[in-house]
Amino acid sequence: MEISNLPISPSIRSKLLSKGYTSLSSLSSISPSFLAQELSVKLEEAVEVLRAVSDTTTSKSAHIPNGIIPGAVTAWDMLSEEQMQRHISTGCEDLDAILGGGIHCKEVTEVGGVPGIGKTQLGIQLAVNVQIPVEYGGLGGKAVYIDTEGSFMAERAYQIAEGCIYDILDKFPSNSREFLSCKERLQVNNFLAGIFYFRICSYTEQIAVINYLENFLTEHGDVKLVIIDSVTFHFRQDFDDLAQRTRVLGGLSLRLMKLSKMFNLAVVLLNQVTTKFTDGSFQLTLALGDSWSHSCTNRIILHWNGNERCAYIEKSPSVASASAPYLVTGKGIRGINSNFKRARIM
Amino acid sequence: MMDTEEEDFKSRLAPDVTPNRQLPWLTGIELLSDTNQNKHFLPTGLEGIDALLGGGLRQGQVTEIAGPSSSGKTQVCLSSATHVVDRNFGMVLYLDTSNSFSPFRISCFVNQLHPSLPKELKETSLQTIMSNIYCQSVFDIFALLDLLHHVETTLKHTVKLGGSKLCLLIVDSVSSVIAPVIGGKNSQGWCMMASVGVLLKRIAYEHNIAVLVTNHMVGGENGTLKPALGESWKGIPHIRLLLSHGTGNNHGTTTVLKHTLMVSMHLDHHEIWSKWVVFFSVLEHSSVTGRVLYVAGDSFAYRTHASDTN
Repeated sequence: MEISNLPISPSIRSKLLSKGYTSLSSLSSISPSFLAQELSVKLEEAVEVLRAVSDTTTSKSAHIPNGIIPGAVTAWDMLSEEQMQRHISTGCEDLDAILGGGIHCKEVTEVGGVPGIGKTQLGIQLAVNVQIPVEYGGLGGKAVYIDTEGSFMAERAYQIAEGCIYDILDKFPSNSREFLSCKERLQVNNFLAGIFYFRICSYTEQIAVINYLENFLTEHGDVKLVIIDSVTFHFRQDFDDLAQRTRVLGGLSLRLMKLSKMFNLAVVLLNQVTTKFTDGSFQLTLALGDSWSHSCTNRIILHWNGNERCAYIEKSPSVASASAPYLVTGKGIRGINSNFKRARIM
Repeated sequence: MMDTEEEDFKSRLAPDVTPNRQLPWLTGIELLSDTNQNKHFLPTGLEGIDALLGGGLRQGQVTEIAGPSSSGKTQVCLSSATHVVDRNFGMVLYLDTSNSFSPFRISCFVNQLHPSLPKELKETSLQTIMSNIYCQSVFDIFALLDLLHHVETTLKHTVKLGGSKLCLLIVDSVSSVIAPVIGGKNSQGWCMMASVGVLLKRIAYEHNIAVLVTNHMVGGENGTLKPALGESWKGIPHIRLLLSHGTGNNHGTTTVLKHTLMVSMHLDHHEIWSKWVVFFSVLEHSSVTGRVLYVAGDSFAYRTHASDTN
């Protein structure tokens, strides 16, 4: 904080600088009368200057015990916040377990896989699961579904919501008094009404929607999940200038990171795969190149393991790499063992 | 060399400097003693990387870690933050651009530090360590520049107030905020990248802080990967390491790309050694009896020449 930032009149500031007072510390131990004489100004003006100096220095020192910069949080506070955070269940218990509870809020998760592996199914499942009421262990929030390919089907969402409600009622006894009131909210129509759907048809619309999301999320504060299915589709064909594509995508991903942090929601990006020629063989990698690979917090790859669908955590700052099998059933995404669960005795 | 001679030399060289300004001229001996006493090595917690760095992250220098996705860059940053606070070097400021700062992971590192402590002491040490790591999210280059200016200003005042001082500044990853603005038709992006670089180095040098930044990889020619941010960024960090993860197992390898004290694996040997050869050969020449004035940017590092002459 230098003299140039003090709230004093420009003529006094130029006089201070010409006399050699360039920093606040040089003014800290001067009496007003001495300063008035030095600068040839009136005594009241010198008092004003010194008061402005002392105001700035005291406000600065009041900030310093709180942290080196305003807004910085200590890791200890973040830890206690994180432990109270709920995660979005994917429907498959094994996958939830390796993810550390489910999809994390305040993080951007990328899910990639070959066509037909179940990315859109997982997207719709998450959009339904985020709406599970808090009393049943969910987040009780709404979802924003940004569809670029047109693969969202409302009938399938209806089926998945039905399956989810059926499983909740199966798991929790329905005759308990505290659940009676929220049981009324467990209607399929409510679940469908909680998904905000955007259909976009070009990359400019995609950029526009992401820019608009900040306003939308400010109005709808209960949105806890944003899904983009799929984030790469419109950027693969129309772009001539690959460097510009990288820059635009980099800016998009930063904006999504900021949204997830600011509004405390989870962002899930579904991505296609492409083949890459490395080490003498063709390998499947996620589309959009190496420069996109750092733009997410977590990455899950869905792949075929023989006849089984498997989810593999490729990138995560907090959990180890692991793999879990899952199924795509009529009721949605489920784990391998859930078919063998015994019916609860009522 | 007597002190009065030194004073004469300094005063003759700098007649126009105002009395308030500190004279920036230091002799080689002063620099060497300052390096040995004040510029400590901060531990990263990973022995292989500490060995490659020559002891750890050097205070006063900017270290860059580049690598492809999920090669362990964030883990190195989190581990360094934990170990530095544990050994009481000071506070750590973590600037996070991809929401990857994981308090849970930090608590795992802390629990691995002293496994033999009783439970209550572990709790208090966890709280103490994690209360000294500050995290702030940054999502664009303007916010980063703003924050760095603020840090610099606060550091100038903290020195006088005492208390726990910042000793490690981590920016993970600096490339994700710079990459969207560079390239394209105008050059403002490159200027901003240079500003970030200069600011980081100035904070490191003037306040004796170690700065650790991470960088991602982009495609180069022939399908190989190279660190992002281009040629102009290469000169900014003092030390650059390249991480790569092993295929199929958890072991990764680290390569030194650039180091002020060690020969790098990839640069041409002649390029590095030529600088040193010119410098020392002037000192050694018997007919040269004056002093050598070396105006250093910031990469002036101490290395005693193998064949010392008297």
